[in-house]
Amino acid sequence: MNLPPDTHPWPAAWRRLTARTPAAAGLALLAALLGALVLAAALLGDATRDPLPRALDAARISLSFAFLAGLLGAGIGLAWGLLAAALGGTAGRRLVETARGLAALPLVLAVPLAGGLSGHDKAMLLPAAALAAAPAVALATQAALRGLMRAEFLTAARASGATGREVLLHHLLPNAALPLLAAGWSALPRALAAEGFSGALGLGLPGGRAGLGTAIGAAVARGDAAGLLAPALLLGLTLWALGAVGDGLRAEADR
Amino acid sequence: MSGGGLPGDAARAGAVLELRGLSLHDGERFYVEKASLRLEAGEVLAVTGDPGAGKSLLLRALAGLTPAGLRREGHARVSGRAALAVANPALAPELPLEHQFAELLSATAGLDPEAARVRAAAALDRMGAPSPAKLLDLPPRALTDALRWRAALALAMAGGPALLLADAPGAALDPTVRAELLARLAGWAREAGVALLLAGRPEDGVDGPADRVLALERGRLGPPAPAPAVAHAAQHPSGPPVLSARDLSVAFPLGDGRVLTAVEGVSFGVARGETLALLGETGSGKAVLARALARLAPVSGGRVTWMAQDLARAGDEMRRDIQLLFPHPAAALDPLMTVGAQLTQLLKRLRPDIPAGRRPAQIGRALERAGLPAATGGRYPGALTPEEAARAGLARALVTEPRLLIGDEPAGTLSGAAREAFLARLLRLQEEEGVSLVLATQDAGTGLRVAHRALVLAGGRVVEAADAAVLADGARHPYSRALVAAARGERPGLLPGEAQGRQEAGCPVRARCPSARGACAEAMPPLEEVAPGHWVACHGPEPGQI
Ligand code: SF4
Repeated sequence: MNLPPDTHPWPAAWRRLTARTPAAAGLALLAALLGALVLAAALLGDATRDPLPRALDAARISLSFAFLAGLLGAGIGLAWGLLAAALGGTAGRRLVETARGLAALPLVLAVPLAGGLSGHDKAMLLPAAALAAAPAVALATQAALRGLMRAEFLTAARASGATGREVLLHHLLPNAALPLLAAGWSALPRALAAEGFSGALGLGLPGGRAGLGTAIGAAVARGDAAGLLAPALLLGLTLWALGAVGDGLRAEADR
Repeated sequence: MSGGGLPGDAARAGAVLELRGLSLHDGERFYVEKASLRLEAGEVLAVTGDPGAGKSLLLRALAGLTPAGLRREGHARVSGRAALAVANPALAPELPLEHQFAELLSATAGLDPEAARVRAAAALDRMGAPSPAKLLDLPPRALTDALRWRAALALAMAGGPALLLADAPGAALDPTVRAELLARLAGWAREAGVALLLAGRPEDGVDGPADRVLALERGRLGPPAPAPAVAHAAQHPSGPPVLSARDLSVAFPLGDGRVLTAVEGVSFGVARGETLALLGETGSGKAVLARALARLAPVSGGRVTWMAQDLARAGDEMRRDIQLLFPHPAAALDPLMTVGAQLTQLLKRLRPDIPAGRRPAQIGRALERAGLPAATGGRYPGALTPEEAARAGLARALVTEPRLLIGDEPAGTLSGAAREAFLARLLRLQEEEGVSLVLATQDAGTGLRVAHRALVLAGGRVVEAADAAVLADGARHPYSRALVAAARGERPGLLPGEAQGRQEAGCPVRARCPSARGACAEAMPPLEEVAPGHWVACHGPEPGQI
């Protein structure tokens, strides 16, 4: 793609991102899904007996949960990674090693376990899903920052008499934005998967709200194939779309 | 050992490779156009060309690996097997070398693993790899770049090809290490009667050991254009030093109480308008020394003065006088800011005396002096070519109107004519404005050509210091002589091995020095004046005769 040479790198990255087929399809799918959720909520009210509106309602609940848990997980992961990069040395290495050890575990499976251990306290689900997503975010954050901190343009800025604060605010943070967005984004599909998995095992969301996972679990328990299709499809497609956008963001961050 | 342990038939006669009107194109662009060429057994041919000239495509096509989407027309004949050696994919990174040799030799020569191991060890030995038997148990991932190249070339040799094609062999290695590697390869090819084709950029040294050189330019293969007018240092200025270093040491704290000393006991002076070259291999300390002069590396001992002022105590105003040219100019520019914005920021910080209204004119002038149109100020670094990025780096260094420029391989990312043009511009600016220059480079040829004086560094110490002209023709230290020989494409005369960093005691070159003796391991030889202004640090009986 040929962009004018005076295109700011961020719009340029957006144009390249949307030129990647999977990422563009993922974005379109997410936009369509959000649109459908808003419409469904406005037009259909709460309770209907049709499988599709019911699935859409479940998806709205699941996505809200994934968004909140993902945001929390991304926040924890970013803080963890930032701390590891800022501390460096032995302390920084310990933080990274802990994150690496945890990220290697199938933490999504541990979320229902945490629910079980807490005596099915459903309020535990959100922090548990957030914590499950955080180590991978922390690793990606620390790796991105470690690479950036060695960047020659920071040395050049120091050579030109920039203070530590100026280097941080004018050069390091703006350049870290895209890699950190890519790192944080990965918390969303993880949180959604955690909710789906827990719900399917019967450990649904607090307050008796039925997310996609719960809908899938209930349909399986009823042996209701038609009732299974819509929530399973929605969950699968949403996970795929989040993943595709995340891959695109990562590819842009690594450029 | 001789070539006897390896296949290859010196009696093989006639052309091994013959091209008549060979073209490679994708329907739109001709990468190679009507190339004709004859290569005999035992002949060594170098094909040079700028990056992207199509050298790699040509080599792949000759090895029968024409990339998909590329069409081949004309006549190409290879009598016998062709082997291709390339930088990375030639070796599987995780598989021990022994298996890779065994696989190839069982397929090409029907050898059993035992016989394959013997032949592999012979080929590795021939390529100057130390302890071949041990090396065979290791995967390429565990090897240094130099050893990986020795292994890749040995693998290509061992299969007994009639034609060996090597794409940019050792291009990223130190010139000394690379020249030794290429001389070995060429020596083997001549002895074994193998036709050898070496491809690389003009500065990759592939022409050194070659019998013939052809250039690939805009798809055309032909004799190389007469060398472009190369830049030379202007007359040696005289005068008191403006920059001087006394017993300078640079050490980095390692965090656990230990320190890593990168430069030790270096002294020199640079006059106004003078160019000093810092020559040496990777790890010699030349780049660290350059950065210490720009106050980007911690000085742990000695003293540097600029205009009789102690650099360590100087304030920021000295930064406007001393500017650095970075080895990767594109990476030294913030990708999120336009070139102009970065120059403006620099002016704001270092030239508060220039009012905001006059900044654009000042920036325009700096860009123009660096050879860039004023519109470059509006562009982002990601949109610059390597040549433009190098010039943007120069413009940034010039915008504060410095009096000393420190270059750390400032033309390192450029090739051929672009490289020469950049150096010529730098020297012209120096001559016109009387700027002093300190240039750190591993390319002794360029360094000695553009500088008035030179320091040769090894393991963080100066091993020889003299006027550039004296060093070019009469270097006395074995290591300096190796650097000069490698730059000329000659065999460097050091034993095979790798560039080494600092040594605790003794001469830093002793592991590769053919004249090393007992005393060399015990103490670093002192710098002694062997002729007026010519200093050498060597325990050798008569430096120069060794
Ligand atoms: S003779 Fe000794 S001191 Fe001289 S270069 Fe060789 S090893 Fe070093």
